[in-house]
Amino acid sequence: MYTLPGSAKVITAMAKELFREERARLRLDGWFYLKESYIRHEAAYADLPPMERAACQLKEAIRELPLEISKHALFAGTQRDAFARSYALINPSFQVESFAGYCDPTAVFDDIEPNEEITAERIRQVREHDRQTPYVKKLSQTYEAAERYTGEVAFFMEQVTGHVVPDIRPVLRDGVCAQIADLEEKIAKEADPKKRSGFRAMKTALEAVLVLAERYGDIAREQLQTADETDKSRLEAIIAALEQVPARGARGLFEAIQSFVLMWQVMCIEQAPNPFAFSVGNADRVFEPYRAMDGMDREDAAALLKHLLVFYNVADRSWAISQNLIVGGRDTKGNDLTNLTSYALLDAYYDMNLPQPILSTKLHRNTLDELYKEMGRFFFTPGCLTPSLFNDDSLFPILKAHGVRDEDLPDYGIAGCQEPLIMGKDNGNTTNTWLNLAKILELTLTGGKSLVTGEEIAHYAAVLPPVERLRNLRELFYENLAGFLKEMEKAANGCSEAVSCLPVPFLSTMMGGLETGYDMRDTVHQGTRYNGSGCLIHGLAVVADSFVAVDHLLAEKPELAEDLLKALEKDFEGYEELRSYLLSLPKYGNNEDEPDEETVAIANRVSDMVKSLRNYLGNPFRVDFSTPSTHLLYGYWVGALPNGRKSRDMLNYGVDPFAGEAGNGLGLRTLSTMKLPFEKFAGGYASHFGIDPKYFTSDSHEGKGLEFKQKVVQPLFFNELADHISPFYLYVNVTTPEMLRKVLANPKKYAPSGVYIMRIHGTFVNFLDLSPAIQEDIIRRLDPESTSIEC
Amino acid sequence: MDEVLRYFQKGFNYSQDGPGNRLVYHLSGCNLHCPWCSNPEGLAPGGGREETVSRILRAVASARPMFFDGGGLTLTGGEATLQFKAVMQLLEKVRDLGIHTCIETNATHPRLPELFPLLDLLIADYKIPDKEALFSWTGADISVVEENIRKAAAFGIPLALRTPLIRGVNDDEDDLAGFVRFFGEVKGPGVTVEFLRYHEYGRDKWEKMGMRYAMADAFVGTERVLQFERACREAGIDVVRT
Repeated sequence: MYTLPGSAKVITAMAKELFREERARLRLDGWFYLKESYIRHEAAYADLPPMERAACQLKEAIRELPLEISKHALFAGTQRDAFARSYALINPSFQVESFAGYCDPTAVFDDIEPNEEITAERIRQVREHDRQTPYVKKLSQTYEAAERYTGEVAFFMEQVTGHVVPDIRPVLRDGVCAQIADLEEKIAKEADPKKRSGFRAMKTALEAVLVLAERYGDIAREQLQTADETDKSRLEAIIAALEQVPARGARGLFEAIQSFVLMWQVMCIEQAPNPFAFSVGNADRVFEPYRAMDGMDREDAAALLKHLLVFYNVADRSWAISQNLIVGGRDTKGNDLTNLTSYALLDAYYDMNLPQPILSTKLHRNTLDELYKEMGRFFFTPGCLTPSLFNDDSLFPILKAHGVRDEDLPDYGIAGCQEPLIMGKDNGNTTNTWLNLAKILELTLTGGKSLVTGEEIAHYAAVLPPVERLRNLRELFYENLAGFLKEMEKAANGCSEAVSCLPVPFLSTMMGGLETGYDMRDTVHQGTRYNGSGCLIHGLAVVADSFVAVDHLLAEKPELAEDLLKALEKDFEGYEELRSYLLSLPKYGNNEDEPDEETVAIANRVSDMVKSLRNYLGNPFRVDFSTPSTHLLYGYWVGALPNGRKSRDMLNYGVDPFAGEAGNGLGLRTLSTMKLPFEKFAGGYASHFGIDPKYFTSDSHEGKGLEFKQKVVQPLFFNELADHISPFYLYVNVTTPEMLRKVLANPKKYAPSGVYIMRIHGTFVNFLDLSPAIQEDIIRRLDPESTSIEC
Repeated sequence: MDEVLRYFQKGFNYSQDGPGNRLVYHLSGCNLHCPWCSNPEGLAPGGGREETVSRILRAVASARPMFFDGGGLTLTGGEATLQFKAVMQLLEKVRDLGIHTCIETNATHPRLPELFPLLDLLIADYKIPDKEALFSWTGADISVVEENIRKAAAFGIPLALRTPLIRGVNDDEDDLAGFVRFFGEVKGPGVTVEFLRYHEYGRDKWEKMGMRYAMADAFVGTERVLQFERACREAGIDVVRT
């Protein structure tokens, strides 16, 4: 077996050094080398079927990729080569005004600075090559065809990479060689040529990770020649682990993590650049059997896991965003599945406080108080990361009603922000489409003309005179929406077909491909047990508040009906009194019947309409009311609305009330939230509470964790009086706008480490890394009056 | 007839306005003029929003899932009893639903005892034990206040007496003796007393409303609060802190 190269303290110090070293990296060039390698080997494998060709190119690329092992590393492996410096929200040059979505797959070439080695000419050549690939051509055609809808984001669509929860457990248990042997048998027996080819591709892809392990082993052996005594034991441990894994099953936690890291590395390389939002799933359950084999205590396990956490951080801004680890949860009988590794992971997270990976916690009625106590330190330490919260008691029945088998329910993981997907079995294409209800309302009010630019965009409803439009607003809106959805469905499937030009045989081995023989992106044969396409729905509360406002206006001030449309065109300039009136009308989020019922009605109807769309395999679209900062980006393209919202102002976040409109505190806001039809949100939803720590008075973090359970979680998730499925997701930031302004004004004082972690939707961010627009959004979204626990 | 209530704020509060998580309505209008008032926006009887009792009842009933830890409805102000008829109608109906009820009052309304059968908890202010001083600072008549509190204690309703301790208003030795005397008179099972330290949470509101906040240098020290608490405890009075 192996000996750990030092105490928990020493291993922790190494992890911290490793992170420091990683944060000092300003260039990410690996993805570019990978692309060049693919091009070099294109001709040699041109005659193979696409999936086999991709596998062979992957193996070649891994043979050629420059590799290193840091002197602080306890495990060989990095995600660095799979990512570019691209993710908008942490990109210093990001601006809301110019953000155009991720629709140009060759835009990534703008994210690499030419230097002496990677010259502008080299970049140009690869870019040109990419432009000619079937993938880019097909994708470009799809975007061109939908430009009139995406230009001002009536909807948006994208090719989904990453965003699944691979099941690495079989490899950790049995090793890759066992899988290769199994594939050889299947290749020999399989009559269907497509499947046989798929099995062959997967075999080659799995061989790639063996190549990687061997190469790292060679590097470690070479470094050993000149290593001092301290380094020797570290390198010997790495060499010993690489001789065992991932070829064979892991015999303890150290080998399990090493095996896991290499599998993850190849999986990401296969989708370079930017395979965002791959998720680990139930990390505590994945690693616990191996910790138990060692009989390792919590402190040692935490120390090793700290290196796993550092692995998820790429370069100066932790560019590999939205990779998610989960702890806690239950089985189908309600038994709690928290284990010692759950707590070791929490210790590792707390001590390291890194910008990535994301931490999620699964809760249920029988979750032990111990877990809430442990979470207290995360919520109540300023600038510390916080876990997002999932409610198993709601998600199990919801997923079951949407076709998930009983045995798979405990295995749901969170891909990216909050989308529940079954580990190793579910290709949900979670971010495939983005629907902007607020823009469609605007176009319904105007008859198709943008209030922002004056462009004629589209209109699928009956053309009525202005005041008649207001009188029939709801039906016209839904009629219009149906027209947009039809276009969105077509465009979304175009993107999925484009991305299927890039098969992923390696990932497919962890997504059910070993059984089916199909690539998980195959658009004809379903390679995974579950499949769907996601639709992120924006603007629920602003549309509901607008419907209510129009009702009141027509009933109370019918003479102003025509003025409303003029006021919207003028962004309320000269119509301030009308705007004040509109703002004074009932709004969602205050437990008032009228706006709350309207919000529920819209959520129901839109959910049904979205679910009726069909993806490339004929499977339904999944309803996901989440708006990962896109409430800000899409709001920029929406004109003034009847709820009094001004042009270009942000939309409401997820299923939350429009910021500033739910000023009666947490209790009433929670009651409004509980009315929503969560049973229909099988694709997920977003909700955020920005909570002032002053409401929690216990003198210890543990005590405050329990108070948090009592005052926030229990009423929302596990309310005995709830009359239908309870909410299943929440993330919080326990801070105040004043505190965040202090951090910005004096980061040296309030964030001496340079890292002040906040959550935005499903991901952590270093608040100081964000662009000013997003910083301001976070401050505004805290909306402290809507979460007040004092009246 | 469906009465109408006017309120200027509503929302949930935990631990300060009765047990558990409570839906609190701040009703508009007050008959006193305490210069330290922390809710000056509630002084005017015509301010805020109007709703029928039946609508409020529906809102209270729908809020049930949030009445955890023994919570319920609390009516406060302003001065809740100024809208006596509507308050009575609402409390009757809320009581019928089995929801915990509480009213927070300055105890100056002569008909206050009529509400006792409808309440699970009465929170009453006892601001200053000296008759003239009370009248001069607030405009309240101490004989009505004391009579109402005596009747509440005698009725057996859980009674929480509260005193904001304010330097120069009610913190000298005579005041202390007066508090001990009156609280000692009404003490008994179910009767608690709480001294609240003076704060200036209302100052900004006064200024925003264009009114002068007249209090100055009114904070009391911790030691003084402890002395008041100790003296009451020594007299067998149940002193609490919420």
